[in-house]
Amino acid sequence: MIAMRLITGRLFFSLFTLVLVSALIFIAIEIVPGDVASRILGRDATPALLASVRERMHLDVPPVERYFNWLGNIAFHADFGRALTSDQPVGQIIAPKVLNTLKLAAVAFLLYLPLALIPAALQALHRERPLDHGLSVINLVLLSIPDFLLGTILMILFVVNWQWFPAIAGLRDTASLGQFLWAVTLPALTLAITMAVYASRMLRDNLIEVLDAEYIRMAELKGLSRLAVLLRHALPNSLIPTLNVTALNLAYIIGGVVIVERLFTYPGFGSLMIDSLQLQDAPLVEATVLISAAIYIGANLLADIGAILLNPRLRRAS
Amino acid sequence: MNAPDPPPPLLSVVGLDLAYRHGESWRRILHGVSFDILPGEVFGLVGESGSGKSTVAYQLLGYRHPNARIEGGAVQFRGRDLLHIERRELNDLRGDRIALVPQNPTTALSPAMRVSRQIAEVLRWHGAVLDSAAAQRRVQELLDEVGLPGSAARRYPHQLSGGQQQRVCIAMALACRPDLLVLDEPTTGLDVTTQDQIIRLLADLRSRLGMSMLYVTHDLGVLAEIADRVGVLYAGHLIETAPAATLFHRPGHPYTRGLIASRPQIDPARAVAGERLRGLLRRDQLPPGCPFAPRCDFAEPSCSVNSQRLERIEPRHWVACQRWRELPEPVAQPQQRSGVLRDDGSGPLLTLERVTLGYGGHRRHGLPPVVQDLTITVGRSEIVALVGESGSGKSTVARAISGLLAPLAGSIGFAGELLAGNLRRRNPRLRRLIQFIFQNPDASLNPRARVGEIVGRPLQLFFRPGRAELRRRTLQALDDVRLGPDYLARFPDQLSGGERQRVAIARALACEPELLLCDEVLSALDVSVQAEVLDLLGRLRRERGLAMLFITHDLAVVRALADRVGVLYRGQLMQLSSVAATFCAPFHPYTLSLLLAVPGARPPGAPALPPAAHAPGSYAGCAFAGRCPLQQGSLCETTPPPWREAGPDLAIRCHIPLPELAQLAAAPGAMIPTEAP
Amino acid sequence: MSDSPQPDLVAPPSRRRAFGQFWRSAPTSFKAGTIVLLIHVLVAATGPFWAPFGAGEMRTGVPLSGVSWLHPFGVDQLGRDVFSRVVHGGHIVILLSLSGTLLGLVIGAVVGLLSGYWGGWVDELLQRLLEAMISIPFLVLALLAVITAGPQLSGSPVMVALVVAFVYAPRIARMARAAALDIVTRDYVLVARLRGESAWSIMRRELLPNASGVLLVEFALRAGYAPVLIGSLGFLGFGMKPPTPEWGLMIADNRQLIFASPITVLGPGLMLATLVVGLNLFTEGLARILGRSTRPVAR
Repeated sequence: MIAMRLITGRLFFSLFTLVLVSALIFIAIEIVPGDVASRILGRDATPALLASVRERMHLDVPPVERYFNWLGNIAFHADFGRALTSDQPVGQIIAPKVLNTLKLAAVAFLLYLPLALIPAALQALHRERPLDHGLSVINLVLLSIPDFLLGTILMILFVVNWQWFPAIAGLRDTASLGQFLWAVTLPALTLAITMAVYASRMLRDNLIEVLDAEYIRMAELKGLSRLAVLLRHALPNSLIPTLNVTALNLAYIIGGVVIVERLFTYPGFGSLMIDSLQLQDAPLVEATVLISAAIYIGANLLADIGAILLNPRLRRAS
Repeated sequence: MNAPDPPPPLLSVVGLDLAYRHGESWRRILHGVSFDILPGEVFGLVGESGSGKSTVAYQLLGYRHPNARIEGGAVQFRGRDLLHIERRELNDLRGDRIALVPQNPTTALSPAMRVSRQIAEVLRWHGAVLDSAAAQRRVQELLDEVGLPGSAARRYPHQLSGGQQQRVCIAMALACRPDLLVLDEPTTGLDVTTQDQIIRLLADLRSRLGMSMLYVTHDLGVLAEIADRVGVLYAGHLIETAPAATLFHRPGHPYTRGLIASRPQIDPARAVAGERLRGLLRRDQLPPGCPFAPRCDFAEPSCSVNSQRLERIEPRHWVACQRWRELPEPVAQPQQRSGVLRDDGSGPLLTLERVTLGYGGHRRHGLPPVVQDLTITVGRSEIVALVGESGSGKSTVARAISGLLAPLAGSIGFAGELLAGNLRRRNPRLRRLIQFIFQNPDASLNPRARVGEIVGRPLQLFFRPGRAELRRRTLQALDDVRLGPDYLARFPDQLSGGERQRVAIARALACEPELLLCDEVLSALDVSVQAEVLDLLGRLRRERGLAMLFITHDLAVVRALADRVGVLYRGQLMQLSSVAATFCAPFHPYTLSLLLAVPGARPPGAPALPPAAHAPGSYAGCAFAGRCPLQQGSLCETTPPPWREAGPDLAIRCHIPLPELAQLAAAPGAMIPTEAP
Repeated sequence: MSDSPQPDLVAPPSRRRAFGQFWRSAPTSFKAGTIVLLIHVLVAATGPFWAPFGAGEMRTGVPLSGVSWLHPFGVDQLGRDVFSRVVHGGHIVILLSLSGTLLGLVIGAVVGLLSGYWGGWVDELLQRLLEAMISIPFLVLALLAVITAGPQLSGSPVMVALVVAFVYAPRIARMARAAALDIVTRDYVLVARLRGESAWSIMRRELLPNASGVLLVEFALRAGYAPVLIGSLGFLGFGMKPPTPEWGLMIADNRQLIFASPITVLGPGLMLATLVVGLNLFTEGLARILGRSTRPVAR
């Protein structure tokens, strides 16, 4: 079956890319100027202490071997090593932060769907008419506002002016659902708007492309009503592009949370990544960057598999 | 307005004016088009590309592009004007009373829906069946009616061939037994034999179901097969309507005369006299009067000013030409054929010796090679045509000769030298002497280069001339294809299709080649432009002694140009003969089927070729076995047929004895159709 | 153009008239974008000469005193005039964006076109590598590049431009390769190969002219996002260092004080947003003129 073969092929390539990414990250961290051990110890460095730190961190082992040890530990033991700054296992540091970010992403995604789909559908149906042009202009302006600025503007409006939401979206473990939503709404809205302006523009174009297809005209000429044409013929065929855009956006969340979490001081994965980069905590940097790449690759893989499964040409080829 | 005492028409188009948005303004595309379609009548509408024929067709379904607007007129159907009724009313008619068969079934069928659902959708929507079980039964009946197996219902469109997809579209159109079928170039893009089958199917359905049709096409030959009456559309003006037979024998309008004379004819005896068309339909250069005046040989100054109205010149024959009374009798144009072969004893220019061609993937999947054991020669200044349907491997042969594909076996020789299989190992002289001209000039000219650079570049590369010399020779090459110096600075998108193809030819001529490989060079062009390029190629051979390997699917073109003809079927040469011998008995059965499939060329009652089997080369024997109407039992399937010289100018690869093949041609009715495997 | 006889003998139509004709027929978005960009370039080029205060000049007014005629964008914590700082920062943002994108374009286009034309295992290898680089989210890759460059380079404009180029190059290369793959299948490339043209000649004569439209639009698209990327880096503290009047950095600095004086954030924000709007409008118009579709930069 062609579909299965394609899916296994995609899986294999994704895995290969991920390994390549891990190598890139490792090399990048490896060539960061300065010796890790002396960086950790700072002014306390004595030759003896330096040597002991090097040994504890296996820095005396050649880089290639270190890379494969590192990769092997991740692949077979889900062990990312220990953080330099806190000396805790990286996995234990990351897990709760990832959970927080997942919550944020989930809320953002729920807000994103209507924000992306409704304008796109309206624009496609009113193509080249005032509504379409008006929404296009709004889209372009929103697209041009960087996310850190958009978040700041939302903050000025909702926090400074109206005082609806807290300025700091700190989460406590004991937070109730209401408190959680109260804290998470603004960062989620920022993420959702940035994703939606991007997606709705691509969706509009995709939808228009489908509506221009000859089989849509054919369906109209069979006597079907506009609604029936839209539901039976246009929608199923615009699913694949929608899926692709959504996957791209899932991937974007990973980059977006870096800014948004920092902006709202939300204790998530993005904040952790920035902190680890600022502290140059190598194992933590490697782990967070690798995980973000894995999410990107995973999202694209899912979209590809979805597209393969939805495409009848591939699903049951003779 | 047609017959003296006509039955009331089923549908009338009255004074239809339509315009398209062109930037800020509107440009008129249809000018007062009027015609009737009687119950049970097939009305053919013919015109060049850009004439507005498809736009007319879609008005019969009340469909307009968002950028189009009606500026006057009506389409009357059962007391209603289809141009001005509510969408709801229109939806009740579309697919139910008036149905469409589209030009391109591949894009017209919904890709993610099974065939059965697409057909059932029409049935259920218009309430032709009550439940889904009844719908499924009806779908099976419909598929049977259009000659598809019941198993096709479960397929997705991409799993069917082009011809089968078009049958599905026809089944869908027939589902509710409409009163009128609108066919928009339904066979363009299909192979000759497939086109023939579809036309027969339509003729058969029409005689059984008795519905009316509007048949839109650019090919007059097709209308000769199926239409009762024909309307000729030129630049949005209906300039002539007449019963089909009348139109072909006594065309009234100079344009119609030109259109008929421009068609290369298979049978020279049937060639119609008349001036060929010259020039092109240019919408931006139309005079206010007769739109054809700038291209007309009989135009007088007032033609460009007076608008022309359809006048009755005989019963049921209407012409929009103020000069129809004064037009001279058409003068027969001598067929410009040289035919004389200079044999200077130096041997053939190009020789293919038992050449076998294939692509890597083919061998890996255990498929037979694309071309098998091909032996053919092209003499100096000889034109050899290679004819076949899509998939016959004819273009692959050209690729191999040009050095893009190394043969798996066999050898290719040029002027006594052995040609290296790989282009990079050929010397510049050989690369210069063999020139390739492609099917689609849109793709073969760099859109970002000016004509001067396109034509001048090979000169620079091969001859390294000085500036003045380069310019002189570039102009010379352009002049050879009758293009003036004002073309030097133009980009390809500022040229018409015919001009582009001439630039491509000029680029080849600049190399001073000895052999031209012409791969379907006419098939992307309009009829009148085809005639022009055909004349050009004929002249080049006469004046310069150029040899050509002319690859085509169009037998009529072959007759007008070639000296010898090779007929290729699935990579095997079935017949090799002089052009005269190709068109008379004895024939290879496949050659005969090709000839019979040409629209307008077939004797009435002649049978069609069954559709191509799906597994190519599934037989150890003859490649044509399984599709051949005269198959000799298992012999053809198991034993490769012999290559037999049937005369000085004719060789045929077939098991059937030659005398039998000769008789066959005398009575083509003997070719009894067999069912598709 | 098509009806000029003897192009060699007739003088070309006057440039000014040709431009006028082009401008009149250009899409509205192109005109609007061009005007916005011209204003920005003008301000960036001349601003340092007419700005009321210096970029680092302190005690220009009461800190965080809000909007006034003298201080249209307010006064920051250190008493610096935000408007003057914004004006002084314009050329930094524009120059860094353009030079970074241009470098990325040149590297990306060369790698992409070559890879697409050669095909085979070189192409395969390059693609896997580019794919891996693209898999690391945009901003994350930029941050990684910044720390890899090390503390010596940190905060220097050269490093920021290099990071922009580094992040863009793989994405532009992928685009250029796709264009090359498409063009290579055209018959005119085949004609050139049949003639025996060298790979270099085919690149120059056939591939590049036909990919130039795609590349131009790609350049404009990326250039439109570059100020955002540079701003994001500054915002996160990985870009230019204070007291450089880079807009993203100013937004980050003044953000602490939005309760007291929101205008000190909105001022630089307005400049950044209008610059990007201008670039986006320009790109959309350009794409329309070249007959291509744009999509926003995949981040």
